[in-house]
Amino acid sequence: MAEHALARESRGPALSVFGRNWAIFFLLLMFVVFVFSGRNFLTVANLQTVLYSACTSLLLAYAETFVIIARGIDLSVGYVMGFSTIVCAGVIRDLYATQFGVHWPAGAAIAVGIVAGLAASLACGLASGLLVARFRVPPFIATLGVLGVAYGFTLHASDGGFPIAFLPNVMTGIGNGYVYYYNPALHAHSFFGPPAGTTAQQIKDLVRLFPNSLILTLVCLVVLWHLLKNTRFGQHTYAIGGSLDAAVRAGIDTRRHLLQVYVLSALLSGIAGIVWVFQTGQGNFVPMGSNLELFAIAAVIIGGASLNGGKGRIISTLVGVFILGILANGLALSGVETFWRYIATGVILIVAIVVDQLFPDLF
Amino acid sequence: MTRKSGLAGFLGQRWAVLFLLLEVIVFSVIGEGFFSLNGVQIVLFYGTSLFLLATAETFVIVTGGIDLSVGFIMGFSAVVSAKLVAAMAVGGMDPLPAILIALVATLLIGLLPGLLSGFLVGWLKVTPFLATFATGGIVYGVSLLLTGGGETKGVPDLANVIGNSYFMYWAPGHGLSFFTRPEVVRGTRVLEIIPSMLVVTAVVVIAAAWVLNRTRFGRHAYAIGGNEDAAVRAGINIRRHYMVIYTASALFSTLAGLIYMLEYITGKPDAGTSYLLDSIVGVVIGGASLYGGAGTVWGTILGCLILSVLETGLRMAGVPTFDKFIAVGLILILAVLIDQFFPELIHKED
Repeated sequence: MAEHALARESRGPALSVFGRNWAIFFLLLMFVVFVFSGRNFLTVANLQTVLYSACTSLLLAYAETFVIIARGIDLSVGYVMGFSTIVCAGVIRDLYATQFGVHWPAGAAIAVGIVAGLAASLACGLASGLLVARFRVPPFIATLGVLGVAYGFTLHASDGGFPIAFLPNVMTGIGNGYVYYYNPALHAHSFFGPPAGTTAQQIKDLVRLFPNSLILTLVCLVVLWHLLKNTRFGQHTYAIGGSLDAAVRAGIDTRRHLLQVYVLSALLSGIAGIVWVFQTGQGNFVPMGSNLELFAIAAVIIGGASLNGGKGRIISTLVGVFILGILANGLALSGVETFWRYIATGVILIVAIVVDQLFPDLF
Repeated sequence: MTRKSGLAGFLGQRWAVLFLLLEVIVFSVIGEGFFSLNGVQIVLFYGTSLFLLATAETFVIVTGGIDLSVGFIMGFSAVVSAKLVAAMAVGGMDPLPAILIALVATLLIGLLPGLLSGFLVGWLKVTPFLATFATGGIVYGVSLLLTGGGETKGVPDLANVIGNSYFMYWAPGHGLSFFTRPEVVRGTRVLEIIPSMLVVTAVVVIAAAWVLNRTRFGRHAYAIGGNEDAAVRAGINIRRHYMVIYTASALFSTLAGLIYMLEYITGKPDAGTSYLLDSIVGVVIGGASLYGGAGTVWGTILGCLILSVLETGLRMAGVPTFDKFIAVGLILILAVLIDQFFPELIHKED
């Protein structure tokens, strides 16, 4: 540590400030570049699209943040999300359809479906949490095992990966809706739905602001930020990640705490799965090879957390997710082949880690 | 730290051997045609890529690291070699030299991702998980760029002849012949024994086991995985060692990709992605520790056989293949729980 402190002093304060906050500077730089290179990048509609599609990635990255701060890793987040998606959509379809003789109203079916999705993810979280906390299985292996089981059940429940369709239309209404609508032709505005009397021709001229997903994103941001920063739960998470031995000696019930961390991670992934159902209007499983968990981990690390535990912030994770999200969006709008996204993510990840080593007190 | 030789370590994992036997018995009873020469060859045929990737993973895991890029490098190698062969075939070159040149060139190109990972881990002290993830992402992106997201076509048929040939053929009246199918009357049954690519794989795996078990290089790998600080103080050049370890891992993965190209006469970026989970699980079932310093190539092969028998057996028994993932996950959890409760069963070397 002394060496590092020395090294930083010799670099001068300006460079140090830049080094500590390089992720934010990088995000701004990328933003400016895309404003010039991307077609229609700097439009309200496009920026709202970025926010909208970042919602599930954000939830997965938040889940990963807690686990990584506690010096663990959760490889199952993407698959728990897929499992929750399929369970939620399957239950809603079965209750909403008439095949069992009972035709539930959409609202009740959706409510039961959400609970079922959360229960499925809770089961995954309990499994990995018990394995890590009780049986001291390395988190990498424990969550890899849960990944396999969750993926198998997901494929089983969806007959090998067929999307589950015929869900109530109101779901996409909520998932793809906006808080505020303004119809310039009628000079009318309304909330949570187009103004009354909007014709089909006027739909594309509607001004829409604040996607509903943004509300959820903001609520999660505030709640999780508070949980990590100001509560005993958050403090203990940092303590366990910093040194498990010291945390045990300080009287923290580390077993219970680790269990809670993995359950929280799975529940957030489950919520991501449910959001996915609302956004797509169907239960489309998350295929193997989309590497959602790896992008979530990358976002957390780019934000400045360390796999050695004890370090990381919710806000930093937010920056990390938007770096990856704006990268994907901006590259696409600049006419670059989307495959570059993988290369760019790898390079940015390497830069993040190297900067982290040059400036150990990043954030 | 004394390590038992390969065979003793192998028998030390009794539970895994018993589990494999149990699997074979169950599938022989419920699976039509499982217990036959053909069944065994299907198990081993599916296993070739897995054996190579898991051997690659073993080298890295023994040093306490993890390599997330093996599957991506396999896909990359399949794409690059297919592109090269196709380009040379279009250029009018004879198929055989074209294939040979492409194989050698791809083996060299395939070292690059390993060098990158090794540099990141050895020199820049990046966590192996992140270093190999970053490398894997870059390699995957390059493969996608090369193919435009699809497959590479135009590989000459000779590749198919080489890739799907067998080591020995036996036909009535012709006796045994090696590598070339005897010219028989149409309809005569030719017995095909041991796929050629399995022979290649076996040679590589035996060489890898020898390196890890018998050479100073292998001993140093265990030393680094056991305690990096102690290894540094013992005078081991760990930077160079990491470089060689990750390059070797990339080499094995590249080889898996070349075999894929020869067998399926195509190259696609996703060729190896589904093997990542299996290769790590195979190593862990085989008794290696993710904390480093333990694990053998033979244990890994045993672990891979368990997975390969499971995959083939379930398929032959008519169970949907996606149930395999549940079984793999459960076996992995079972393996680590046994590891936790009966450490003496597996970590003989401690």
